[in-house]
Amino acid sequence: MLKEPEYLTKINAEIMEMQEIVESIGEQVQDALKNRSSGLKPVATELCREAQIREELIVEMCVGSLIRHQPFASDLRALTVAMKVSYDLSRVCRYLRNITEVLEEVNVKNCEVKEVCELLKNAREMVRQSLKAYFEKDQKAATNLIKSDESIDEGYRMILRKYAVQKASGNCILFNGITARIVERMADHACYISQETIYLVTGRRTDYR
Amino acid sequence: MSNSTKLDIQNLNAWFCEKHALKNVNVKIPDKEVVAVIGPSGCGKSTFVRCINRMHELIPGAKASGKALLDGVDVYGGMDVMDVRRKIGMVFQKPNPFPNMSVADNVVAGLKLVGTHSKKELAEIAEERLKSVGLWEEIKDELKKSGASLSGGQQQRLCIARALAMNPEVILMDEPTSALDPASTAKLEELVKKLKNEISVVIITHNVSQAARISDMTAFFYLGELVEFDETRNIFEHPKNPLTERYITGRFG
Repeated sequence: MLKEPEYLTKINAEIMEMQEIVESIGEQVQDALKNRSSGLKPVATELCREAQIREELIVEMCVGSLIRHQPFASDLRALTVAMKVSYDLSRVCRYLRNITEVLEEVNVKNCEVKEVCELLKNAREMVRQSLKAYFEKDQKAATNLIKSDESIDEGYRMILRKYAVQKASGNCILFNGITARIVERMADHACYISQETIYLVTGRRTDYR
Repeated sequence: MSNSTKLDIQNLNAWFCEKHALKNVNVKIPDKEVVAVIGPSGCGKSTFVRCINRMHELIPGAKASGKALLDGVDVYGGMDVMDVRRKIGMVFQKPNPFPNMSVADNVVAGLKLVGTHSKKELAEIAEERLKSVGLWEEIKDELKKSGASLSGGQQQRLCIARALAMNPEVILMDEPTSALDPASTAKLEELVKKLKNEISVVIITHNVSQAARISDMTAFFYLGELVEFDETRNIFEHPKNPLTERYITGRFG
């Protein structure tokens, strides 16, 4: 494997910072969901804003590197992929913030949230693993991660099926349906990161979904 | 992308005395496309293009073997050498206008040697060719000035106009922009892209970004061997050979 140029190391360090922000919001949202508590939205909004600033910085660094170094082949792919990964992480942040908005708007004190909690936990792990595969340029792990998205999709469908027939209160049906959908989209972005990782390693774009 | 082959190079080998400079090169140059030739210094790029129009054999101690088929006819077998160089023109790294000739005479110098055109025809051809290289508007009032009085970029385009005046089918360019400033380089690159509407262009360049900008196909040479030949996008996005990858990412040596 070729040695990574310094500018890519710096860009990846910023992506790691973004990952830390995502992990931090994820953890807090997970707790809020488990405890069915509201009030996290301002914190999540602030952290999302930080993530967005980092995304803009990463794009700026990538464009600057394109101009200064005019990279080709794996270096060029690394820059285009870094921009997309930072975008995906930014989207994950926004999805997590969306959950805090739903917690704010819908009264969930008496709702069952076990399945959706589990779904979020699995999606967060997917995001974590997709980034691990990205940083390690691990094509096999990225491919496996895309395959594992099926379990998230199934979890989402299961929640929809359950609440379609359950005689729960309207707010619980609404909350579980919306949150499951948000989490399912979040996991999709983990898959996108893995697709980009595969492109980074192989130079070939394939739609695995 | 063109489907037809203009030049079919088969088992081409070249030597400078004992030095084996080009090793069994096989490549098909498509019609009306730009082919960039890249590789480190001494890899055989210039030898390759000079073999195509038989300029290699002008060097004492140099020899070549193999075939270079221009529309199916071997330039080493069935063609007169002057005919080869008329059909396969060449532009060099350093612009070389004839300093004792006017701009207009420079353009038609080759045609004058053939001696089959009237003065009026020569003037018309000079104008047409200067227009096709984008020089006419810049120097139409200076046609009687010496070719050497033009700027470096203008001189290089004048040399291309001179090559085009012979109605070549292929133009070989050996680092044509290496001595030019960015503005002149940009004009010449635009000209190269325009030329492929009429003819095939083979261009040697050390500037890999330039190869990526202007060519349809790229050939990477190393130690006299053609390592990889593919569509330019493939070469610069995901080359198949690790040597190509190392070269274009600047990790050679």
